[in-house]
Amino acid sequence: MKDNAWLAALTGELRRHGVGPDLTGHVVAEAATHLAESGESPLRVFGPPEVYARAVADSLGGPDVRPPRRHPGPVRLAARGITKRYRGQTVLDRIDLTVRAGQIAAVVGANGAGKSTFLRICAGLLSPDAGTVQVHGALGYCPQDGGTAEFLDPDEHFVLIGAGRGLGRATARRAGRAGAAALDWTPPRTQARHLSGGTRQKLNLVLARLGEPDVLLLDEPYQGFDRGTYLDFWHEVWRWRDAGKAIVVVTHLLNQLDRVDIVLDLTASQERTA
Amino acid sequence: MNQERRAQWLRGVLDLCVLALLSRGESYGYELSQALRTYGLGTVQGGTLYPVLLRLQRAGLLTAHWREGETGPARKYYRISPAGSAALHAAVIDWSAFTASVGAILSEEPKR
Amino acid sequence: MTRILVVAESALRELLRRRTVLIILLLFPLAFYLSRRGDHLGQSIRFVCLGLGWALSTAALFAGSAARGMEPRLRLSGYRSMHLVLGRLLALWAVGALLCAPYFVLILVDQHDVRYGAIALIMVLTVAVAVPFGLLLSAVLPRELEGTLVLLTVVGLQMVMDPASTATRALPFWFSREIGTYAVDHTDSGYLTRGLTQGLVFAVALTLLVVAAAAVRLRQRRHLRIA
Repeated sequence: MKDNAWLAALTGELRRHGVGPDLTGHVVAEAATHLAESGESPLRVFGPPEVYARAVADSLGGPDVRPPRRHPGPVRLAARGITKRYRGQTVLDRIDLTVRAGQIAAVVGANGAGKSTFLRICAGLLSPDAGTVQVHGALGYCPQDGGTAEFLDPDEHFVLIGAGRGLGRATARRAGRAGAAALDWTPPRTQARHLSGGTRQKLNLVLARLGEPDVLLLDEPYQGFDRGTYLDFWHEVWRWRDAGKAIVVVTHLLNQLDRVDIVLDLTASQERTA
Repeated sequence: MNQERRAQWLRGVLDLCVLALLSRGESYGYELSQALRTYGLGTVQGGTLYPVLLRLQRAGLLTAHWREGETGPARKYYRISPAGSAALHAAVIDWSAFTASVGAILSEEPKR
Repeated sequence: MTRILVVAESALRELLRRRTVLIILLLFPLAFYLSRRGDHLGQSIRFVCLGLGWALSTAALFAGSAARGMEPRLRLSGYRSMHLVLGRLLALWAVGALLCAPYFVLILVDQHDVRYGAIALIMVLTVAVAVPFGLLLSAVLPRELEGTLVLLTVVGLQMVMDPASTATRALPFWFSREIGTYAVDHTDSGYLTRGLTQGLVFAVALTLLVVAAAAVRLRQRRHLRIA
């Protein structure tokens, strides 16, 4: 039935818009009742699911249910005194960051403030001029771009990265597809070079998560995402936090900062040295 | 009536209309939309009505509970709360003053 | 072992999906062969072997460059640099074997009175040397263009320089001409021994260098401690 498809879409959109499961149930049931009684088409009565979901979310004055804050666990990532100079310019000046299990740290700052550099140092892809990074557990890294093989399809990526993490073929494929589904994405059998920028980033993100690493370093992974996927992304990040992961996200969007536990502003550090 | 203008006006007063309707007894979404139509406000679509109900409920002006109907599906019934009654009472006074002012301006004879 | 095989499989898939490159790769040595087919049969054998080496090193160069973006991430996902290098070498050696097979058959059919065993040996050594040579260039030179130019220079020199001069022994495909002479002109086995030695030394040295270069590039940085 058409109503059911619309109601299912509404359920998904409400979740995306941060409406909690209980309230989502109420809103959907109420809409279903209305449709049954009026006999009208859902599009006429409520409009497109995403529009109605946004109206519901707006009427709540912000997200209904914030992810529960748990007591953070043991330290997963400790960066101490990270200093990096490029051609005499100090990009990072004695930066410290400690992230515990169950915490999200946002790394913010203007363009060129060294956000990606800091993350690459944390991932061990780049050496700092001074400072150390201690990581407790396995590390997952999602680069800003690249990080995928042009001529391989998503499933082949899952198998390749999965093998590194010690996952068998079938397990890796299943884990990859599950991670993709959480981003509302069904990986096609298409080589990565034919995927759009946003889709490639989804792949990138799923790959970083494969094998459930304890520490996740995400470098603006949502570039090219549409609004819905962007919301899905943050919901996933919160879910990972609740599962006890330590997450570092590079971002220049400040509107999510109230939903993270730690904010590391690199602009300030650079201005201090200037 | 000009549809667009009516929609614009309605946006400002729909919550008051809903509160007023519910002050006469509990009701549910579909019935409320029928009532608004009967009063000549035209069709207020669910997409507009339910977010308003939700906001009023969140603000504590309405309470809601689900009840099985004798026939048909379960309905979410809304009831006005004491805070809602108080808010409605205050708004009715404001509204009278407001419409009186608007009315005075609009009904004044143009000067020759 | 699983990891090496998965890397090899992925690398092989990537290579086989570059259809145009594959076709050029396949036809390139043929052009070399046919260019000398008219004047001297033996010369066409020498040329086709050089052509194979050239084509294969170029393929390895590009495969190595293409993999650069992905390798740090694979390293983070639990691979050791050894897995990555061996996997890629394995894939390229397999491609090399596939590439050589039709040319060996061609020579078998088209040429007579030559030492086929020695020609097979040239091809094996060519594959063994060309693959790490191309990978090493991709590891040392950040841009493909530079690597391609170096390859062009090396193979060009290999063709024009007199193989008798000692300086040419420093070129990676010198063995090809030396063993080629043995195979075509039925010279004494000194040619075979010298060629085989040089080829083996280059194959082993280049492979070790590729492994070392990857180990350095993908090393665990000193500032990072993973517990």
